[in-house]
Amino acid sequence: MLPRETNPNFMNGVPELLILTLLAQREMYGYEIVQAIRSRTSAAIAVGEGVVYPVLHGLERDGALVSRRKAVGGRSRIYYSTTQFGVRRLAGLSESWIHLAEAIRGILKGGQYGHPVQ
Amino acid sequence: MVTPFNELRERLLRAGIAPRHVRRYLKELADHLADLAAEEKSRGLNREEAESAALARLGSMDDLARAMIEQRQLQSWSFRAPWAAFGLAPLLGLAAAWFATLFILWSGWSLFLPGTVTPFGAGPLHGFANAYFQFGRMIYFFAPVFIGWGVALVAARQRLSVGWPALGLALLAWAGTAARVHAGRSALSGVANVGMSFSLGNSAGEIVHGLLRASVLLSLMVLPYLIWRLQRSFLRSTR
Repeated sequence: MLPRETNPNFMNGVPELLILTLLAQREMYGYEIVQAIRSRTSAAIAVGEGVVYPVLHGLERDGALVSRRKAVGGRSRIYYSTTQFGVRRLAGLSESWIHLAEAIRGILKGGQYGHPVQ
Repeated sequence: MVTPFNELRERLLRAGIAPRHVRRYLKELADHLADLAAEEKSRGLNREEAESAALARLGSMDDLARAMIEQRQLQSWSFRAPWAAFGLAPLLGLAAAWFATLFILWSGWSLFLPGTVTPFGAGPLHGFANAYFQFGRMIYFFAPVFIGWGVALVAARQRLSVGWPALGLALLAWAGTAARVHAGRSALSGVANVGMSFSLGNSAGEIVHGLLRASVLLSLMVLPYLIWRLQRSFLRSTR
């Protein structure tokens, strides 16, 4: 398993991408989102679980998400889902990250001027 | 389950995060903590161990505070533009309240005292007419105090430093003291006119008297804030 420490600068924008991806599939509340990230990344991406909420609030403020209160099992939960703007933002972010990941993979595998990593 | 978020609340409010976002964040964190503790308990940990593990998973107070503070768009309007929140907005609110006062005076004069030179001291009024004028007078006198309470409330809720709120309150106290209402008919056309002017007085004695009244008004405005501060200090000392 990868180390659980994270580099905050390198991780910049990753929580936003993951959250938008998950919420584009179905509405979720914070705890569900964190569990989904944990299980789908095999716990490779581990941050303090509480820091997901500022990202959610920020995305909602930007108009990428909407929230609603829903009573589940006698408790009031705040569920989040993506807006049309959020879907467009996700598409843009995904494209950028795929492009970046391919570029990094190209460097790691060695290209015109590089050498393969041993 | 006891949630250790008081320190976090204070840090976020002092950093300018809007109170509604702080309130919701803490509620979500408390719910998340409860879910994590339940999950840890289901793995066989006792209550104390489960709560301790849940807190560790939630993140340190530093991380939780930093993540929220970095979201600049969650800062309150009064933190980002205190000059507008504590200087401009209270004065605009006061102007709106006094516009309503002048309208009540002018309309009451036209309805209940037609033909009189001025509505001031124009004979006894009873019933609805009296209540109408008294309502306008009440808005005129209490608007600075109520708006001042609003300024103090916003400043207290957001743990703001005293600079801008104090300036806003001082402006309100000055306006509340210096305002004078005038009403009279045009000598030529007989049209009823109402208006306001601002002056603390013409002589030194009047100015001193005006400043004393402004001090009393200012004291009235900050009284609820001072009571709140004393109550908080008392609660802290008894904890």
